[in-house]
Amino acid sequence: MTAAIEANQLRKTFPARRGEPIEAVAGISFSVAPGERLAYIGPNGAGKSTSIKMLTGILHPTAGDARVLGIVPWRGRRELAARIGTLFGQRSQLWFQLTPRQTYRLLARIYRIPAAEQDARIAELGELLDAGNLFDQPVRGLSLGQRMRCELVASMLHQPEVLFLDEPTIGLDLVAKARFRDLIVRINEERGTTILLTSHDVSDIEQVARRVIVINHGRLIYDDRVSRMRRALMGTKMVDVRFEQPPDTVEVDGARLVKLTGSGAKLEVDTAERPIRSVLDDLLDRYQVVDISVSDPPLEEIVSHIYARPL
Amino acid sequence: MSAYLGGWQVGFLRTIRSPGDLSVRVGFFAIILLVMSALWSAAVASNGGSIEGYTRAALLWYVFAAQVAVLGVRPRSVEEIGDEIGSGAVAVQMLRPVSVVGMRMSLELGEACARLIVAFAAGALLTWLFAGPPPSLPALALAVPAVLLGCAANIASQHAFGGVAFWLIDAKSSWFFYQKLVFLPGGMLIPLDLLPRGLELISLALPFATMAYVPGRIASGHPDPLLLLWQVAWLAVLTAMAAAVFAAGERRLQVTGG
Amino acid sequence: MSAVPATLRTALADGVANRHSFWVQVGLMVANDVTWVLFWVLFFDQIGTLRGWQMRDVIVLFSILLLSAGVALGLFANSRRIGQLAADGSLDETLTLPVSPLPHILSSRIDAANMGDLLFGPALFLVAGHPTPERTAVFLLGALAGSVVLIGFLVACGALTLFVGGRGEQADLGFNAILIFASYPLDLFGGATKVLLFTAVPAAFVTGLPARLVRNFDPASALLLAAVAVAFALLGWGLFTLGMRRYSSGSIWTR
Repeated sequence: MTAAIEANQLRKTFPARRGEPIEAVAGISFSVAPGERLAYIGPNGAGKSTSIKMLTGILHPTAGDARVLGIVPWRGRRELAARIGTLFGQRSQLWFQLTPRQTYRLLARIYRIPAAEQDARIAELGELLDAGNLFDQPVRGLSLGQRMRCELVASMLHQPEVLFLDEPTIGLDLVAKARFRDLIVRINEERGTTILLTSHDVSDIEQVARRVIVINHGRLIYDDRVSRMRRALMGTKMVDVRFEQPPDTVEVDGARLVKLTGSGAKLEVDTAERPIRSVLDDLLDRYQVVDISVSDPPLEEIVSHIYARPL
Repeated sequence: MSAYLGGWQVGFLRTIRSPGDLSVRVGFFAIILLVMSALWSAAVASNGGSIEGYTRAALLWYVFAAQVAVLGVRPRSVEEIGDEIGSGAVAVQMLRPVSVVGMRMSLELGEACARLIVAFAAGALLTWLFAGPPPSLPALALAVPAVLLGCAANIASQHAFGGVAFWLIDAKSSWFFYQKLVFLPGGMLIPLDLLPRGLELISLALPFATMAYVPGRIASGHPDPLLLLWQVAWLAVLTAMAAAVFAAGERRLQVTGG
Repeated sequence: MSAVPATLRTALADGVANRHSFWVQVGLMVANDVTWVLFWVLFFDQIGTLRGWQMRDVIVLFSILLLSAGVALGLFANSRRIGQLAADGSLDETLTLPVSPLPHILSSRIDAANMGDLLFGPALFLVAGHPTPERTAVFLLGALAGSVVLIGFLVACGALTLFVGGRGEQADLGFNAILIFASYPLDLFGGATKVLLFTAVPAAFVTGLPARLVRNFDPASALLLAAVAVAFALLGWGLFTLGMRRYSSGSIWTR
């Protein structure tokens, strides 16, 4: 089966006005099968947007090559554009003063969707994405979450085989994010659309992707199924404790002391080793705890963990 | 008093330190001067050498002084004033222990002085090249304070106008109207003496004439000190109006809370 | 079939959506234009004729300018924003669509204020320009040619930012210079300036030549105007296409 997306030693170097040229993407290779859901994760500046721009034909690579649906993106940009969808989180395809439907009509012309099919497709997508009731109000009156659902409809109108999403959940509240992620999964499951989602939000990995690629400093440093990554790394939790009187040291089984300050401590817990609940119980039993909170480690930490592990 | 001087200095230095902006403005000024000189030269030529007593040289020096006096003022200042009042930024400025309008005016006057130094020199040179020497050197010398007073009156008037206009129309429209008032009844586009008698009289009764017409008239060879006095009188009135408008605005902000 | 007409219709709908705001801006621009007409009325009232030009001739000149500028800045408002779009990364959006980028960009935005010029120009001509069918046809075609020159000039300047970066403020300078010169009869200007106006600051082709054609049509000048318009269109298109190659190679450091 031919891959939906294929990247081979993609490289992108930007000349800088002063100093060294910037190597945004330093030789990335991967392959995505049709119908896959892939999260493309990395901290800011890692090279995610640059990668997507090369795969969608906006940027020409400095070296290496790629194919999307068998087409070289920067050579067959227009041909490819008719078969892929894009959704950039910080940009809008929707005309602000008009209704979403008015934008869809224009997009239908641009993508040469037959007039007879337009209304049916709009209605279907409205149902699939819980957005039908939004289509006839001006975009300026929609909340961000509502707008993003309408943007998804816009991206899917021409029935693309691959959908690229670049930081689509930026600015959404937690509920809207969850809802949006659910819709992406729906699109993939009902239409078989290949999904490539870039993000620096770890929850995007958990809820949407089956496979994750981590890049940092322009290099691919992890490429595996999410289930494996979860087991390997996302079992780590950070525990922040504040004490009534700071002890000399904090020792709890299954927890590693990361930092001890005047008022409290920061611990790292590998939940594969020991469930968080019993670590918390221990802490509360043995120390005079004033405040306690549990959080996910920041992405940078997961990434550096990944980076440090042998490949 | 030293606070206002400080404000003037800030405006002055800020403008001097942006040579890019300055050269763009002066560049446009040169183009407008070129075009208007061509226009009035042709006009005079088609009319037997003089129009209403203005020779070609006199007209071109009029155009120079009238244009440079208007150029000195920050464009769209009226719009900014309206916006600042609307956004309540004025309220923040009011917390300082000096007059808001006084500070703003000092600042803009400083900027104007910086622009004028360059524009006056460049423009006078160009006009000398196009039109020959000024009809009277003392007149050109007197045109310097006239241009400054014209600028000051323009700035004061914009503050009065901006302060009032804000309550009536939006800031952008107010700039539109204001600019036209300086162009026509102000005498920037046409010397007021060339207008039909009725319009001439109306224009002379309005303060805008002191902003472009007076510097132009003086530079064209009429170094009449009374003209300067006329500018000073209007400057005083306009400044008082501006202060009153801002004070009324302050009271209103204090009542409604901005 | 191209999607450009549909895009333009959508841009118009979007621009007019807030009707009150749209008409206020149009009104202000018309008021602005009326002031200039007033200036010319007062000027000619005093002066009489200007190197053979009567008031009506200058009014025709002005109405050509309004229509040309109205089309270039009002209808195809993105023509002067190419530098800005490149700097903002907005060109990327166009590249994700299966369309030719330049026509799509140009037809994606209207500007309310300059639409005022677009409406007032022809109105002015009809009222004060002695609109016989022949003169009206020449007026419309001449102004259209002028708008193509303007758009080509603007796109070319904007495309330069794809090579050297920046936001294209320099384009505004040259462009405003064209507008200033184009507001006045060509015969006012002497040798050196006139050469300039036929080349680097092509005001002669925006209003000068079209106005001459309305007064006295001659096929040779008409052909020249058409040829120059095509030349500017090609210049704009060519520079933009080359610029997009550079843009896609990321040679300007964009985030």
